[in-house]
This record gives sequence, C-alpha cells and structure tokens, in this order.
Amino acid sequence: MTETLLLIGILALFGVGLYGMMILHNFIKLVIALQILTKTAVLAFVIAGEMNGQIQLGQSLALTVIVADTMVAVVGLALAVQVRRHFGTLDIRALSTLKR
Amino acid sequence: MTPTLGLIGLPLITSPLVYFAGRVNRRHAAWSRGLALLSLLIAWVFFAQAAQDFSLNGTLETTIGMIVLRIDGISLLLTAVVLTLATVVTIYSARYMAGEMGEEKYYALLIAMSGAMIGLACAADLFNLWVWFELMTIASFLLVAFYCQRRTALEAGVKYLVQSAIGSVLVLLGIALIFAQTGTLRLDELALAGESLALLGAGALFVIGFGVKIALVPLHTWLPDAHTQAPSGISAMLSGVVIETGLIALLRVVGALAGIAESWGVLLLAFGAINMLFGNLMALRQKQVKRLLAFSSLSHVGYMLLGFGIAFYAGEINGAAGGFFHLLTHGLMKGLAFLAAGALLYGLHLAHERHDPLTVGDLAGAARRYPLAALTLSLAVLGLGGLPPLAGFMSKWQIFAAGFQTQDTLVMLLVIFAALNSVLSLAYYAPLVNRMYRDHPSNVVQQGKPIPFSMQVSLIVLAVMVLAIGLLPSLVNWLTEPAGASLMMVLGR
Repeated sequence: MTETLLLIGILALFGVGLYGMMILHNFIKLVIALQILTKTAVLAFVIAGEMNGQIQLGQSLALTVIVADTMVAVVGLALAVQVRRHFGTLDIRALSTLKR
Repeated sequence: MTPTLGLIGLPLITSPLVYFAGRVNRRHAAWSRGLALLSLLIAWVFFAQAAQDFSLNGTLETTIGMIVLRIDGISLLLTAVVLTLATVVTIYSARYMAGEMGEEKYYALLIAMSGAMIGLACAADLFNLWVWFELMTIASFLLVAFYCQRRTALEAGVKYLVQSAIGSVLVLLGIALIFAQTGTLRLDELALAGESLALLGAGALFVIGFGVKIALVPLHTWLPDAHTQAPSGISAMLSGVVIETGLIALLRVVGALAGIAESWGVLLLAFGAINMLFGNLMALRQKQVKRLLAFSSLSHVGYMLLGFGIAFYAGEINGAAGGFFHLLTHGLMKGLAFLAAGALLYGLHLAHERHDPLTVGDLAGAARRYPLAALTLSLAVLGLGGLPPLAGFMSKWQIFAAGFQTQDTLVMLLVIFAALNSVLSLAYYAPLVNRMYRDHPSNVVQQGKPIPFSMQVSLIVLAVMVLAIGLLPSLVNWLTEPAGASLMMVLGR
C-alpha cells in the first residue's frame, strides 16, 4: 500500500517537474524544475531498494545521484549568472539568436 | 597499479593538478598544457599495456570494493579514439586557446572529460555507467560554454544543459526501474533477466535518455549549436567521441536487455535511417562550415546505427565490427575536419580578434594561402563523403557488405538507402573543396594570418591516419574485430 502511494507520488513529482520544464521561461526557475525532476529519481532509487530488500544499496545510489545532480545545478546557476550579465534578462526566450 | 586503474585514474587525478599548475603560474598556461599532455602520454603507456594484456588473456577485470571495471574490445576501441583525439586536441589548442581567459580550466576539463569517457567504456554495471556519463556531460557543459562572455556560446550552453539534464534523469529512472524489478545492476546479470513490461519501459527510457547525447533525430536540437559555439578543439572532441560515447552507453544497456525483445535491431535501423536523411538534408542548407560539419555528424551517427542495427537484427558480426570501424574512422575524420576548419577560422578571423563564424564563402581560394589546412580539410570531408581510398570509404564499405551478407530484404533496402545518402552528402562536401581550390582568394583570405606550427602538426597527424587507414584498413583490425566480437558476445549470438 505504502509502495503504491509512493509510486503515485513519484509519478506526480515527475509530472510537476516536466510540466515546469515546459512552461517556465525564467532560467533559474527552470533549474528548480530540473531539481524537482531529479528528485523523482532519488526517491525512485530509495523505493526500489526497499522493494527488493537492498535498502542500503538503494540509499547509497540515491546519495550519489544527489551529488551528481548538485553539480548540474551549480553549473546551471553559473550559466544563469552569465546569462543575466550578458543578456540583461533571465528569460530564455531571449536566447534564440542561433538558427534552428 | 593495473592498466585499467591507470587509464581511468590518471586523467582524473591530473585534472585538478593541471588547474592548479595554471593558477600558480598565471602568466601563461604552459605548465597546465604540459602537464595535461604528459598525463595523456602516460595514459598511452597504460593503454599499450592494457591492449597487450587483452590480446593475451581476453577481458580484463579490476574490482574496487563493489565496483567492477572491465576492459573488453569495445572499451579498448573507445579508449583508443578518446586518447588519440585528446592528445591531438591538446597539442592543437596550444596556440588556438593561447591567452584565452581561464585557459588552465580548458585543459583541466578536457582531460577530466577524457578520463570520464574511458571510465564509461570500462563500466560493468548500470549505475557506474550513468556516473561516468554524467561526469563526461558536466565537463562538456563547461567546455561548450567556454567563451562565457559571448552570447551565442551561453545560448548553446543553456540549450545543451537543459536537454542533457532531462535525458540523464530519464536514464536514472530507467535504472531505478531495472533495480526495482531485478534487484541487480550488473550488465551481465541483467542479460539473464526474463521478459517484462518494466524492463521494456526501462529500455525505452534509455533510448530517449542516451538518445539526447547521441543526437537521435528528434532529440538533436542542441547539437548544431553546441558544436558550432564550442572552441574548435572541443567541437572535434564532441563530434568525434562524446556523441559516440553516448552510443556505446546505449549499446551496452540495450545489449544487456537484448534478451527481452527482438525489436531493438529494428529500432536502431529506423533511427539510423532517419538520422542519415535528416542530417544530410539539414547540412545541405548550411552556410557556416562548423554548422555544416555538425549536421553531418547526425548522418554519420546514422551509418553507425545501421551497422549496429544489422548486428542486433540479423546477428551479423561484420555489422558490429563495421559500426565500430566507422566509429573510429568518423572520430578521426570529423576530428580532422573540425580542427582544419578551426585552423582556417583562426587564420581568417580569430587572429584578427574577430569572433565571426567561418562561412563557406570565406573559404574561397583558401588553398593558395593555406595549402595544408585546405588539403587536410578536403581529405577529411571527402573521407566523410566516402570516397576511396580514404578511411570513410572502408568503414562504410564494411557496413554495406555486412548488410548484403544478411540477405534480408529490409536490411538490403536500407543499405541502398545509406549508399544513396552517402552520394547526397557529397553535394555539400564537394562544394567546400571546389571553393577552396578553384575560386579566387576572397578579401578575407588575402588578409589572413598564418596558421601556427602546432596546429599544422596536429592536422598532419590526423590526415596521415585517415589516409593510412584508407589504404590499409587491416591496420585497425586489432581494435575493431574484438569490439565487434564483444558486442556479439553480449548479444549471445
């Protein structure tokens, strides 16, 4: 029962993250949406570990994901700083000078 | 120390040292450069040792705690391509990047990225594969947006980061699904898992997640921007090995899941066909040289997918070996093409402190002023187009021959389609050569500055390899055949 609830939670969180990625225009908000999206994976690892009786392994995988995901967030925010500095805005709609 | 640990550990340990060396001596980045080159040269020694051990004893395994690192034919091939390109690019960048802000970071990230790619090649479990993949991706984000004072580079960096990050979350969810279902992450144990919907779903997540990095066609939109805006050495690395590393990651997981469905081969063949056609059509309409080359990478991924698709679909080992052969020759040829285009860009624009893109029009008459760069660029693009006796012809030939060996109508039709695409690609490669050799030098070319010696050396090295492999394709059999055999072993055929 708890597992089903948690699985529904993961799907909901994934939906929130993906929806955010699609509708947001502010780059920092996009990074936040990306964080929400990654957190679904973190949660999924813990639950997967619980489901097959290897909770320690699941937790350590989740920790590794958190570390790697933080690096992505840091790079993303560093890019956001540069974007704000050189474009004067964080709106990603301004970032469309290159041809498709 | 085992060669596996040396190959992976050395670049990763040297990376921060390269950075600090550059910070200590702020005047010029010679120390960083030297240290980076030194670590790559030592890595070659480990590579030679690993290759020798592999030829004597077969697959090498090294265990650190629970982590298993394995060198098989595929790892050896990818490592060879990574080390070749990284070494050449480091020599090339000595002058190309000289005086850029944060030059020491460039070399530190370059060898960290190379180390991560070698690690990915050796990973024997799913999660490890993802960790190396993510490390490579993070290093490449920073390298794509290296010119962070330029708007265009920032734009390319943002697009690349957002798309790659979503792709990597999908891969993670796939891994979690597999972990929940089977309780194991080891690729070889996974091959024994039975058929189930969850594993099929995980496979789909992997195709989309890794597909972003490989630039499978609807997921390719980051690629032309990133390849154009990155420094030329990095464009060569991105196009020559990074997207191929994504392909190897996909092959490893799909190979492990091959038991659960028979349609992976069809999927790879279908993506191959779309990539070939779309890449060629988009390349036809490009005016910028680097953008043209970036789109042609899409079509070359298509040829590789065709080779691997033949292996998955019909169990033809020559398809796998041909796919790996094309991976190797494409790495060398595309690396050469980007470096030669970068050399011209340097002579025509960068040396004048201009940051304009290199257009096809700028190349007019370039052969008179820059004979070496024009010759090597021509060799590279004609090789990519598949003209004999260059490397690209040989690798495409092996894939096409494998296709006909299967005697399967679908595969044979696809091979004919690929051959026609190869002809179509000459429609944008040949005009480049024509322009460089037959037009009168444009104003830009007449005012161009000379190309430094270190760049010329790296162009010559790669050009000689492209010619040598074209004339004597058996030179690299020791790499491509074990790689093909390793893939077939995973597939259990």
